[in-house]
Amino acid sequence: MRLFIWFILQNVQQQRLRSVATVASLSVGVAVVVAIQLANMSSVRGFSAVLDAVAGRTSLEITAPGVGVPEERLAVLGWLREFGFVSPVVDADVLLVPTVDGDRDRFETVRLLGIDILRDLPFRDYPLVDGARARRITTQEFLGILTDTDAVVLTQAFSDKYSLEVGDTVTMVVGDRTTTLRLAAVLGNDGPAQVLGGNFALMDIAAAQWALDRFGFVDRLDIRVHEDLDVAEVEQDISAQLPPGLDVGRPGRRGAEVERMLRAFHFNLTALSFVALLVGLFLVYNTVSVSVITRQNEIGMLRTMGVSQGTILGLFLGEAGAMAVLGTLLGVPLGWLLAEGAVGLTSSTVSQFWVASAAQVPPLTWDVVWLAFGIAVPLALAAALLPAYEAARVAPMAAVRVDAAVQARDRFQRRYLYVPAGLFAAAWWMAQQDAIDGLPVFGLMSALAIVFGAAFLIPALLYGFRVASSGLMVRWFRVEGHLAHVNLASAISRLSVSVAALAVSLAMMVAIAVMVGSFRETVVYWVGQTLQADLFISTARNAPVGDRGSIGPDTEALIASHSSVLAVDAFTGVDVRYGETPIVVGAGRFQVMVDHGALVYKAPADGPRAMAGAIGTDAVVVSEAFSLKHGVSVDDVISLPTPQGETRFRVAAIYFDYSNDRGIVVMDTATFAQHFSSPRPSGLTVYLDPDADPNHIRDELQVALGPDRRLFISTNATLRGEVLRIFDATFAITYALEAIAIAVSMFGIAATLLTLVLERRREIAMLRLVGVERYQLRRMIVIEAGVLGVVTQVVGLVVGLALSLLLIYVINVQSFGWTIQFHAPLPFLAQSTLAILVATTIAGLYPARLAGRFDLSDVTGRQE
Amino acid sequence: MRCQKILAITFLLMAVFGPVGGTQEVLDGWRLAQPDYVLEFPRDHAAHSDYRIEWWYYTGNVETVEGRRFGYQLTFFRVGINPSPINPSQWTVRDLHMAHFAITDVERGTHRVSERLNRSGVGWAGASTDTLQVWNEEWRASMTGTTHRLQAIDTTEHGELSLDLRLDSGDAVPVRHGVKGFSQKGRQIGNASHYYSFTRLETVGQLVVDGESFDVSGFSWMDHEFGSSFLEESQIGWDWFSIQLDDGTDVMVYTIRSIDGEPGRLSSGTVVTTESVTVLDSSDYQLTPVRRWTSPRTGAAYPVVWKLELPNEGLSLDVAAVVEAQELVTAESTGVTYWEGTVDVSGTRNGEDIAGRGYLEMTGYAGPPMSTVLR
Repeated sequence: MRLFIWFILQNVQQQRLRSVATVASLSVGVAVVVAIQLANMSSVRGFSAVLDAVAGRTSLEITAPGVGVPEERLAVLGWLREFGFVSPVVDADVLLVPTVDGDRDRFETVRLLGIDILRDLPFRDYPLVDGARARRITTQEFLGILTDTDAVVLTQAFSDKYSLEVGDTVTMVVGDRTTTLRLAAVLGNDGPAQVLGGNFALMDIAAAQWALDRFGFVDRLDIRVHEDLDVAEVEQDISAQLPPGLDVGRPGRRGAEVERMLRAFHFNLTALSFVALLVGLFLVYNTVSVSVITRQNEIGMLRTMGVSQGTILGLFLGEAGAMAVLGTLLGVPLGWLLAEGAVGLTSSTVSQFWVASAAQVPPLTWDVVWLAFGIAVPLALAAALLPAYEAARVAPMAAVRVDAAVQARDRFQRRYLYVPAGLFAAAWWMAQQDAIDGLPVFGLMSALAIVFGAAFLIPALLYGFRVASSGLMVRWFRVEGHLAHVNLASAISRLSVSVAALAVSLAMMVAIAVMVGSFRETVVYWVGQTLQADLFISTARNAPVGDRGSIGPDTEALIASHSSVLAVDAFTGVDVRYGETPIVVGAGRFQVMVDHGALVYKAPADGPRAMAGAIGTDAVVVSEAFSLKHGVSVDDVISLPTPQGETRFRVAAIYFDYSNDRGIVVMDTATFAQHFSSPRPSGLTVYLDPDADPNHIRDELQVALGPDRRLFISTNATLRGEVLRIFDATFAITYALEAIAIAVSMFGIAATLLTLVLERRREIAMLRLVGVERYQLRRMIVIEAGVLGVVTQVVGLVVGLALSLLLIYVINVQSFGWTIQFHAPLPFLAQSTLAILVATTIAGLYPARLAGRFDLSDVTGRQE
Repeated sequence: MRCQKILAITFLLMAVFGPVGGTQEVLDGWRLAQPDYVLEFPRDHAAHSDYRIEWWYYTGNVETVEGRRFGYQLTFFRVGINPSPINPSQWTVRDLHMAHFAITDVERGTHRVSERLNRSGVGWAGASTDTLQVWNEEWRASMTGTTHRLQAIDTTEHGELSLDLRLDSGDAVPVRHGVKGFSQKGRQIGNASHYYSFTRLETVGQLVVDGESFDVSGFSWMDHEFGSSFLEESQIGWDWFSIQLDDGTDVMVYTIRSIDGEPGRLSSGTVVTTESVTVLDSSDYQLTPVRRWTSPRTGAAYPVVWKLELPNEGLSLDVAAVVEAQELVTAESTGVTYWEGTVDVSGTRNGEDIAGRGYLEMTGYAGPPMSTVLR
């Protein structure tokens, strides 16, 4: 231990800057990993917390696919009582405008639970309050509060926020309908009231059906199994007795489904977050390598003094371990701070595409802390293993050699080519492999292999550069160029790792930029092809996911009756479980879609004809994501759960869709009505007379619909803009993570240059002595930095393009089931290249200034 | 609650203007009991959904062949909330359905209770308006021919509690109480009910108490009563007796207690023999509490031993609870706390010894006054 303190800590202190840079970059890497973990947890936890609070003491639930459990089927389920309490539930996300006549745009998404209080009390707690005091009432009194058709109970948090008092009115917006409700009582902060920060509304089940216009269905039947019964056995018993079309399961399965749904998204985010950590690990390798190289003599000395190889290995691993521990200690709290931003960026995406989630940073648990240590420390040790192993192999004789080892190691070695070649071959093979359980595990390993391959190729490239460029350097930069060239050439092994770190992060950035750019172009093209209609009518601009708010037939008739309206398509979608994963089963008017070419088909060649052929039969068109994830092709037969049980449908066509990775199955409205129920459209697309002005018609329709129908009408142009806005918001986090990785590696390159300068202080001072001017020294260092920048950028671009192909053609397809057309965003790449070159040159400025300051005292070897 | 306010105002108006006479037939949309209503059977066994309050009340004393004795009670209540709701949802609360189920195990001295409270919803509770068919989840009372079938089951902390009984009225006709079944409860005409009973139903079937099953037989008593407004504000509760004497005489008497503790003028009863039905008014009998039992749970002091004198019948009876603790605290359904249980009857008829069994119900000793529950 004393040896460790003397040998390593002293060294750490001497090499302060490099150590600080390494610890800092490690901590940023750890922070990014932690932040993403927390953000991922937040989206699932947000949903699970709501699920748990709403489920209360529910042990099992009975559901039906699509629109809910038809009431006529409940009547015959009296036998469920023998297993426990049974409570029917209507559950929906609605918009609540806290005032009646006030600002119509000030609304909140609220979870509405419609229950039969007579049956629900064993399941959930609804503590009513009167100001600060609890209000104790009997079940019958509670029923009395709820039975008025306009009675709603809101939480204290919500009513305080909007200064609502019992008796005040609020407006509930469901689909195109608005309902005025009266605040009948206030709920204390317990039970379901805790969900979504108090955005919870309780109504009687009858009143909720009335407000939601959902007569005849409940969303589910909650069961609280008697305590002396085994839930798993009861689940089996019930499952065996349930009529087809009804399904029993645990409430938690919806959380598991959401987790499954978000898995690919989370997996890729996590992978991305490791890039920053990877960069940090390169720097650990770098630091330990340099420490080993520069201290050959000391290591040799120790060996002559009888210190064993194992101890030497331990010493250097200890150095890496200490840096990793310190980096993690700093990184975890930093990650928690970063999580705020990460949660903000991811939760909007999650809410947009999957489930409503509150942007709330989950508490930092020990799990996360241990995870951070568990990842950072072993990886740092692994990164240090190679240089530490080399240190252990230093012969005792090294003590007497002068820098010979350093020189010896700077020879080109064949393994500089073999290792990368092997890694690239492995990458090629892994890129051909299928996804594992829906996750692109091989794809990401392939990316990792490319990254390491590129990193190990750097020394070879630098040697190549040394050979190729000596003449050019002199020609372009004269003396300084020659000096820079010599310096770089002699420090290849030290520089390689820093260059690799920066090149890798650049490559990742290039890859992601190319992937996102390609994706964006693809979406732009798809939007152009798909959004053919002139007007798009939806029930709410920020409607919650899964919002079943619907557009009434009278509204649709009113729109269709406008003289400039040629055709109206109505779309509706319900969540259905397909095997283990939730999908969307939608209904649309096939004839209208065929007539107006609203889909881009992947297969068959004549998509519209196939679609027209599907009308009037049990046939569906499926999204590309559905077809890829479930291995379904045209003319396959799939089995979907319907309220009548499993029903078979032929796949007539596959169309491109980038709106949802969940997989969509669309059937003609009539087919949907036959198997599910008459669809209540959640959106209308309107085709206008080509001569009509969409903006003008939109205004006319808005007036005709009146203020009570709360509908949003977008023109084609505004909707396209909105699609791209959502797209860009979705990838904001991707860019943020990349920017961090770049910043870390820039820091690394600056630190590396700085150490090089410091190590060469004697040499530099000597140059001064032989008449080299200060400005020439500065130029020399800046040229060195610039050269490194060029090499890095070239490697980064090439590797980045390779990675982008992997992302586009392997990882994306396996994760999300999207075909993306390759498209290089050249302006962006040019810009970033320039930026990197400028930045690396700037990174050389401080070391350059420092070098200029060395004087004769450095030659004499006197330490400051 | 709006409904309650309106009722309170109605009471106030009644107090100011005095009895309104026979002209008022509807209260809040609910039909009031009227003296000219003629009970007809089997029609009136079924539910009367235009009245606000209705109950079917079964009690009985049964025993196994070995003589192990049980008392049981199975009661179905329907209370109207809103006679014509506007919300078309099936879940809209027009009526609330409640049910109480209790079995007294005399040997063990236990009294097991269970209750149900439901809206009609998707048919999970209800009462047919065509035949006697009333149910609350899996509890049910129904009648085919002269046989009533009672079924109830629950899982309590002590194990299964259930009954499945067949009650046969034979050729007995329903006994109409009061004036041809019109039973005046308060001073106002509307504060009354239509009330009839089967006073002696031959009973066979099965009971399960604490998970243990028993084949039993004995006699049951069935009451069916409906109206819209029963009690007045000053009336806090009642004591009700149903007695089946060994000589075939059945006696029903009840007394409504006022806020001042005095038995009301409107207490009444009926004596049924195989030959005749005699309606009693409050002057025809005398009820005296002899000994009280105080409930450790609610603190209510129930008279569990009574002296009942029916001078015109030559009857002098001692009525005593077989098990003292037969209290029901029905927080989860009606919200009423009352005592209902099996009693032993002994005494003399014209000097001759006589004995019998019966059921005693005592309300208004704990919790809110019955007038706020049954208004």
